[in-house]
Order: sequence, then C-alpha cells, then structure tokens
Amino acid sequence: MYGLEAINANNGWAISVVGVSIVFSGLVMLSLVISQLHKVLALWEDPSKIKALFKAKQSEDQSDKLQEKEIVDQAVFTESQKEVVRQFGLLIRTMEDHFSLPRLLHLAQISDLKNPHSNLNNLLETKIIIPDGSGFFTWEKETFDKAIL
Amino acid sequence: MDALFIEFYHNTGFYLWDYRYLIMIVVGLVFIYLGIAKDYEPLLLVPIGFGILMGNIPVFQGLGLSIYEDNSVLHYLYFGVTQGIYPPLIFLGIGAMTDFSTLLARPILMLLGAAAQTGIFITFLGALALGFAPNEASSIGIIGGADGPTAIFLTAKLAPHLIGPIAVAAYSYMALVPVIQPPIMRLLTSRKERLIRMEEPREVTKREKIIFPIVAFLLCCFLAPAALPLLGMLCFGNLLKEAVVTERLAQTARNALIDTATILLGITVGASTQGDIFLVPSSVGIFALGALSFSIATASGVLFAKVMNLFLKTKINPLLGAAGVSAVPDSARVVQMVGQKEDPTNFLLMHAMAPNVSGVIGSAIAAGVLWSLMA
Repeated sequence: MYGLEAINANNGWAISVVGVSIVFSGLVMLSLVISQLHKVLALWEDPSKIKALFKAKQSEDQSDKLQEKEIVDQAVFTESQKEVVRQFGLLIRTMEDHFSLPRLLHLAQISDLKNPHSNLNNLLETKIIIPDGSGFFTWEKETFDKAIL
Repeated sequence: MDALFIEFYHNTGFYLWDYRYLIMIVVGLVFIYLGIAKDYEPLLLVPIGFGILMGNIPVFQGLGLSIYEDNSVLHYLYFGVTQGIYPPLIFLGIGAMTDFSTLLARPILMLLGAAAQTGIFITFLGALALGFAPNEASSIGIIGGADGPTAIFLTAKLAPHLIGPIAVAAYSYMALVPVIQPPIMRLLTSRKERLIRMEEPREVTKREKIIFPIVAFLLCCFLAPAALPLLGMLCFGNLLKEAVVTERLAQTARNALIDTATILLGITVGASTQGDIFLVPSSVGIFALGALSFSIATASGVLFAKVMNLFLKTKINPLLGAAGVSAVPDSARVVQMVGQKEDPTNFLLMHAMAPNVSGVIGSAIAAGVLWSLMA
C-alpha cells in the first residue's frame, strides 16, 4: 500500500497532528513556566517584596482617594449651578438623612429645578451626595460647603 | 601444504569479498576523510567511519566475528545500541555539558525548537506514503530531529532492523549541517531579516539553572512518559552540572562517560552497516527521506520564526529557527555563520543556543510520543 491510501490506513494524519500538538504543548508549557520562574524566585528570595506589593496596592487606593478629594476641591460650579445645588440641599432637608435617589429626583422634577438629571449627576460626581452602601444616599454638608460657599 | 594454503585463502577477505563490502569501505573512508580533513563532527564520523571498515571486512560465518553473530565481541558491544543503552548515557553527558542560560533568559525561543520538530512528523507521513510500516516510518521521521542518539534509541525500540541505515543517515546529516542548512536559510529569509540583531539576554541566576532541569523533567515526562530515559538522563546530567556540589560526577558524565558511550556507539553502529545487509533499496529510501526530514525541520523552524515576528514587538532573527533542529551545537554555529556573512558584527551564536537546546528536548519528547503511539 502506498501514497495517501497508506497514510489513511495507518492513521498517519491523526498521529502526526497529535505528535506535533504534544511536542508544542510540552515546550509551550515549559516556556511559560520558566518565563515566570525568575519572578517567583525573586519573591521567594525576598519576601518583603510581597508585602511591598500589598503596600503599593494600599498606597494606590490612598492616592485614588486623594485624587477624588482633588476632584471635589477642583469642582467649579457656575452661579446658576450653585443655585440649583442649594435648591437640592433644601429639598434634601425635607427628607430623611438616608434618602432615595429616585425620590430626590422626583422631588426635583416636581419642584421644577433646572436640569434635574445633569445637576444631580454633578452632585454625585463631586461627592456632595454619596452612597451609604445600602442603596440610599447621604448629603455631605462639608463637601457642599467647600464647593458652594 | 598446498591444501592448507588454499584453505587459508578461502578464509581470507580477498576470497570472500563482494562489491557491496567494497562500496561500504569507500563510504567508511569518506566518513573518516570528512571527520579528519573537513572537521565535520569528527567525534562521530571517525568512530562510525572506522566501524564501517570493521563491519565490512568479509568474514566467514561461524567464527564469531560479524556483529550479527550471537557469539561475537562486536555483537555484545552492539547490545548497548539494540537495547537503547548508549543513547541515554550520551544524553547524560550532553546534559552535563549544556548551559541552558540563554533558554532561561528568553523562553519564547523554545517555540522554535518545537517548530523544527514538525519535520519529524511530515517525514513520518512521507515514509508511510512510500510503503514503510508505521514503526519504521516513525524511526525514519526522527532523523529530522537531527539527534543521533534519539534516532538510535527510537529505532532500537521500534525497528531494530533499520538501526544501521538510520544511524548512519542521522549522523551523516548531522555532520552535513553546514552544507544542508545554509541554502534553505537563505532561501527563506530576506537580507533585512538576516540582519536583525537580538536583544541582550537578561542575567540568569544560579537558582534558576538548578531548578530548570527538575521542572523540565517533571513537566515533559508527565506529558510524554516515554521520553523518560532520554529526558531523564539529560536533565539529571544538567542538574549534576548546575548543582556545583556534584561537579565530580558532572566531570565524569561530560568527559569519560560520554566519550566511552560515543566510541562504543560509533564503532558498533558503523560495524552494523555490513554491505550485504546495509545496501538494500530501503536504505536508499531512508537516506532520501532523512534528507527531506532534515530540510523540512530546518525550513519549519525558520518559517515559524517569521510567523512569530508577525506578533512580536521586538523581532527575532528568523535564522534562529534553523537552530531548532537539535544538532548541538553545529546548527547554532551555522546560524552564527550565515548571520555573520551579512553582518560580521552580529553575534547570534549565544541566542541560537536557546532553540538548539530546546530542539534536544523537543526531539526527545517527539521520540517519546512516537514510541508510546507505536508500542
């Protein structure tokens, strides 16, 4: 038996594909492992680097907070926006300390406040209104004072 | 007295000679010439060449002289070949000589060693198409790995009757690396590609070098357990070298042991090429397929390097792909030579050693895979 017939009869195509795949898998796995080996060893040799990694993460979080603070500090409202923000503040006074955002929006709409959606968004971005973690929001008086007064 | 002389004459090689022995003696002399005068793999070609001379002295049967007679000394020495004993010993020595630093520094080059093994499987298909049985086709295909010990090991397990032609073909092509590879490399690459310079590899720590043979052995042998005798010895040899505390054992492995095994393997493989057994049509087919296998392996490595360049930010010199065949360190030297012809200040040898040594691992895995699929 010769030619393609012989290859098919002896399962040649499958053997070749399986063979090439196994050789590639083996060497790819090995190259992946050894490409990370020096990094793992570096951590093994100096465990303080692991702590440093976590510290770096913590400091990243802190810098995020600082950035947020800066956003608030840098927040600049136009006079008309300030007026709307004050009106939002008045509305919130009529509500519970932990209030619902849809309820606030509804009140703003029926009170005919200017651009209630975008202004409410501004309040959220500048952290004058912040989530309390349970689905409600609170009014940050300090932030409001800094931004508006 | 005349009768005694006539009887003696009938026992001499001059009376028993056959043209096939003469042809093989010429082949043996060519091997010795290439090894000594041309410096092509002298450590292999000289023992094999002289073995061919030893195996082709016409002798009468029954005296225990031929390597194929059960009671001959050569037959006992040949036992190490037929039972696959010498190749793992040679791998132990290779492991104790090899520095895997460049591979550890740029593991991605390992893929070139894998790509070059494609030649093995394409030739396997070619051998099947020419009518060889699957076990014979596997042994012929492994010639493309350009790794003599691996080829002998696999053939001893799968097709012992083909050891002579396959071993001679494998070692001949390994010796002819500087002749076979450069035209293929130049054909498949542009001048601009051949001029690419490689980045300096990072420094590799001693601890990485010690851990590597253990990790490589466990990972590869769990994947292809049949590669255990070859890869196990290769990695063990390398561990002896890198561990430092076992330097004495490493010294023995890379000097006395590998030299002894190479001498015995070379002589007996050469002696197994007895003209009346060796010069058959299948040997011609094996030589033709061996050349094809070797060429495809070289081309696969180079082409794969070019494919990798499509995705890599820092391009690699595609000539490195040719070093994926595991003729250590000859194919790496050829890469250096071809690269320096374009730019004498471009040093590729160190980088080419990475695919070169991964080719050794790749061909051992390929042999293990074929063995387990055919056994």
